[in-house]
Amino acid sequence: MSVKNKASQEERGTKGALKGIVVCDFSWVGAGPITTNILGQCGATVIKIESSRRPDLLRRGGPFKDGIAEGLERSGYFANRNPGKQSIALNMSDPKAREVAVRLIKKSDIVINNFRVGQMEKWDLGWEAVSRINPRIIYVTMSLQGTSGPHSRYMGFGVNLNGLCGLTATAGQPGETPFGTGTNYTDHVMVPGHTIFAIMAALLQREATGRGQAVAVSQLEAALAMKPSDAMAWAAGAGALEAMGAGDPQAAPHGVFTTLGYRRWLALAVRSQTQWQQLKKIMAQPAWAEEERFSTLALRKQHEQELNQHLEEWTSHQYGDTLADQLQEQGIPAAPVNDARDAIADPQLRARGFWHYLDHPVMGTTLYNRAPLCFSKTPVQMTRAAPLLGEHTQQVLQEMLDYSEEEIRRLADQGVLS
Amino acid sequence: MQLAERPVIWKRESSRGRIKEEHTMGTTKEQAGIAGLRVLDFTGELGPYAAKMYLGFGAEVIHLEPMGGDPLRRIGPFYRGKAGTERSLPFLYYNAGKRGLALDLHQQQGRAIFRQLVARSELLLESCAPGYLGELALDHPRLAAINPRLVHTSITPFGHTGPYRNLPGSDLTCSAMAGFLYLAGVENEPPVRPCDNQSYRMAEAYAAVGSSIALFHAQRTGEGQFVDVACIEAVGMALENSAQYWDLEGSLRRGGGREAGNGTIHPTRDGYVVLVAIIGRNRNMWKRFLQWLEAEQVPERELLAGDQWLEPAYRSSSQSYQTFCRIFERFSSSQDKLSLYERAQAAMVALSPVSTGKDLLENPQLKARKFWQTLDHPELGGAVVYPGPPYELGRIPWTLGGRAPGYGEHSREILEELGYSEQEISRLARKEVIHVG
Repeated sequence: MSVKNKASQEERGTKGALKGIVVCDFSWVGAGPITTNILGQCGATVIKIESSRRPDLLRRGGPFKDGIAEGLERSGYFANRNPGKQSIALNMSDPKAREVAVRLIKKSDIVINNFRVGQMEKWDLGWEAVSRINPRIIYVTMSLQGTSGPHSRYMGFGVNLNGLCGLTATAGQPGETPFGTGTNYTDHVMVPGHTIFAIMAALLQREATGRGQAVAVSQLEAALAMKPSDAMAWAAGAGALEAMGAGDPQAAPHGVFTTLGYRRWLALAVRSQTQWQQLKKIMAQPAWAEEERFSTLALRKQHEQELNQHLEEWTSHQYGDTLADQLQEQGIPAAPVNDARDAIADPQLRARGFWHYLDHPVMGTTLYNRAPLCFSKTPVQMTRAAPLLGEHTQQVLQEMLDYSEEEIRRLADQGVLS
Repeated sequence: MQLAERPVIWKRESSRGRIKEEHTMGTTKEQAGIAGLRVLDFTGELGPYAAKMYLGFGAEVIHLEPMGGDPLRRIGPFYRGKAGTERSLPFLYYNAGKRGLALDLHQQQGRAIFRQLVARSELLLESCAPGYLGELALDHPRLAAINPRLVHTSITPFGHTGPYRNLPGSDLTCSAMAGFLYLAGVENEPPVRPCDNQSYRMAEAYAAVGSSIALFHAQRTGEGQFVDVACIEAVGMALENSAQYWDLEGSLRRGGGREAGNGTIHPTRDGYVVLVAIIGRNRNMWKRFLQWLEAEQVPERELLAGDQWLEPAYRSSSQSYQTFCRIFERFSSSQDKLSLYERAQAAMVALSPVSTGKDLLENPQLKARKFWQTLDHPELGGAVVYPGPPYELGRIPWTLGGRAPGYGEHSREILEELGYSEQEISRLARKEVIHVG
């Protein structure tokens, strides 16, 4: 009980820009929960609808606190995408659950789901039905490839979408099998970024018109908007975009270079002739760097392999972080290729308060990151850890949806709130 | 919700024939929201997609360029592969539909024009180095004094606070520093980088988002603010679960892609496909995959039938990975990726092509949805193909806008709107306070 009391106290203290906005959140796994996470950090109240019969799949995705994969409350993958949300357990496969959802929708500004097309309609909670329940609602769907067209029912995960949208083909070593980002990248920024922006556009319009609307995001099309070059170049007769390792068509040296240590590299981006001159000074003007074939960008690109070999001979017996400091001081973009431990300890991210440790009843104090938004007047809030499944069922039904204790008990006995 | 009253500023016919009505938030209901906004975009290589997102929903965007032109004009790929300041495809894409003003902020009169533009804008998006605008007496406190409702969003590699704020940044080094680049490789392999400077794009998406949230606050309270968006933090959103792997289990993960059938990439006759045949211990997914291999009569498929394949640890061993690749690739490498994609999907198997630019232009789904849009570019002697809308909204149309501005193309028009006379504009051009294209 103490957890609940504490939570509602903090809720009242919220000062975010989206204070008063209520999100009825049916979304799960990736892009949907990331979207509502950002809205929540900016002050919105996010009510996450789950069920122990159909929990958010990420609750079963690693990592787990101390590596123990038991139950539904130990996943850090789930936790980082869901801090501050209120979880209600609602078994939507029971027809009586719809009435609870309807009451919540009446109190909400946004209804969001990232199910496959047709799932919400099965519960009679498609756009038509929901907009009749609440004409001010902003109704968000996040289909993989849009709701029309021959591939609209195709399935896939972030890593599929990386491939489909063209990112993977450009991320690899030249001439080798492409690799990609190593993550479900499209889920993390491309899709939620566009979804939040579209929601905000609808909210801004609603302030004047009073009317809600449907927001349909195609995950593929959202991704394509952030990586235009390959298709545009092909259509414009500029050829195919090739994978270049960590290289850049208009910079040299540009890439990652082995340094001392286990899986340690220096990322270096020399993007002007001035920076090249500076780099030569830092390297103490070795004879090879003065050769004609490295004197201009065009020549360095032409002899890039030899250039990179020379550079790696220089970096490979030095510490990447020390070297990066030295290069940056002279105006050359450089950084160690940080692993997660380094990034958590990174002085810049730390100084800016990017990382947060929040206390969770099962996991204890664990790591979260806030939205990458520093507002001067309405700072983002990171006050509560991810919810236990159903942690706020009683509270939300009673305080927000005006159910009596008796009604709640009855719904619980009938298995609706499970 | 009562809207604060705002003055009618101007009415004009744009150079591309699109008639804009009076811009007053709330006077014409259909124009309310982003369509009624004026956005000032002072960005270059980093930043321009944020303002493009506003333009897509009908905002009026002025793209400011320094004298000599936006550095993005020098970034390829270029139209027909030939370099030129009016031929950069990224410049054309990110700045499509914006009006262009070339302005020298190092001259007092240039700064006066900047302040006039700020006075009539709801949103300023800029990617200047921290401190640069301050040196010109154009920092946020001074701009807020001119326009208290202004949302001023800065997009920089490291942000305005913290020990690295003045360091030089680049896409690669931001990706490296935040722990994202490290994930793009397995074992001891050096990491690789995808196209289109993703750390910049991530910061731009979040700059658009943060600005819209601040605009919402401004609309409700009349209070503008400064929004500080750093590339390294935006990149920090894309670490998946790697930070938590360290925090909860003390392990450092790298990229996926070597666990048999879970996000693995395989060759086809004409390229590659990516396959998610199983996640975790999902028996149903794997069963559908085996049924598909059966339907395709893939040789040696029976070797994948045992329950050990349901174990992620088993699938992660290099021997299992190699066995899987041998069996699947003997099949896949004799197929075309599009055909394989359509057959796998019909069998409910999550396989997708690893698309090239050409594949995307020919993709049947994107074609059916008329995703790609074309603009004529008489100055290039041809047409340019652009990505279309990332979303569909019931009541807000999306627009690509017209072609991107030439260098200083709308300088004269914009100064006329600010009330400058013909003679004054000519004088400013002669003094190189502005460039008139």
